[in-house]
Amino acid sequence: MSKERVSRRQFLSYTLTGVGGFMAAGMLMPMVRFAVDPVLKAEDAGDFIATTQKVADLTDEPVRVDFTFKQKDAWYESDVTQSAWVYKDDSGKIVALSPVCKHLGCTVNWNSNEEHPNQFFCPCHYGRYEKDGTNIPGTPPLAPLDVYPYKEKDGYLYLGKAEPRKGA
Amino acid sequence: MKWIPKDVQTYLSAKEYIDTAVVPLYSISMEAEMKQSAESAEFIALLAAQVERQFAGRLVLLPPFTYLKRESSEKTGGDLKNWESTLLDAEFKHVFYLTADAEWRRMEDQYEGSFIWLPSIPLESMSDGQKITLVDSQVNQLLPLFTQKWHENQGNS
Repeated sequence: MSKERVSRRQFLSYTLTGVGGFMAAGMLMPMVRFAVDPVLKAEDAGDFIATTQKVADLTDEPVRVDFTFKQKDAWYESDVTQSAWVYKDDSGKIVALSPVCKHLGCTVNWNSNEEHPNQFFCPCHYGRYEKDGTNIPGTPPLAPLDVYPYKEKDGYLYLGKAEPRKGA
Repeated sequence: MKWIPKDVQTYLSAKEYIDTAVVPLYSISMEAEMKQSAESAEFIALLAAQVERQFAGRLVLLPPFTYLKRESSEKTGGDLKNWESTLLDAEFKHVFYLTADAEWRRMEDQYEGSFIWLPSIPLESMSDGQKITLVDSQVNQLLPLFTQKWHENQGNS
């Protein structure tokens, strides 16, 4: 036993502080978790969908990358396959363009028209886009192709939801 | 354009650009041929959906024209004729029929629209990946049929 004896008053105040501290912590912890939760959520993969395309295999020539995800339409769940045209630009940055024509929604192809090489071409109404997705004035589309946000994970390409850009 | 209100709305506001109708033809039979009939319906449905995805801005994919296999070809043929004239009246310049039923080949000449006949492939035992590759390759062979037709008529109109 130590020489300084703990008085009854001291003992009570220690225990009360201890128990009170636990109770306060028990109440605050979930609150803090709730408050921080949105931050934690934004950090995981989120809406990015894995593709089978290896980032290392990308060149400056656009390639078609297909990816599939589940879409829920009311109570009917179905697999939806979407494509992207992916290439590396001059500075080595990855560009992932949506193949959906901004005119009426056909699928555009890379370099498929002999008269206009190295452009995206829409077979429906002969709409054309530059390699960076900018619509060529004088053709039906009025806006550049949508761009997918992308991520690299374990060497594979992950694509998000396509985002529209301002018209040329 | 699919046969859903949102797409039909787009069609109505951009009519001058959308001049093609695609009608899948489903033949229905019971008993022994029931399974085969379902297989070809699945195959044609997937093809039609893929063609629609490719050319969404220039064609409308109609609900399938469904007929009983045992019905006489005069009756079925007449019904389809009705569909065709309705579509042509609605200012569709091109009509395409997608079918796995070889019967239609004999009647092809009676219609203004083009028949695209494909032998049905049973897809049930395939994985999703195989299905997609297969349908994709089939559709890629079909696409020139559409673009050719559009090119041909461009000169005339």
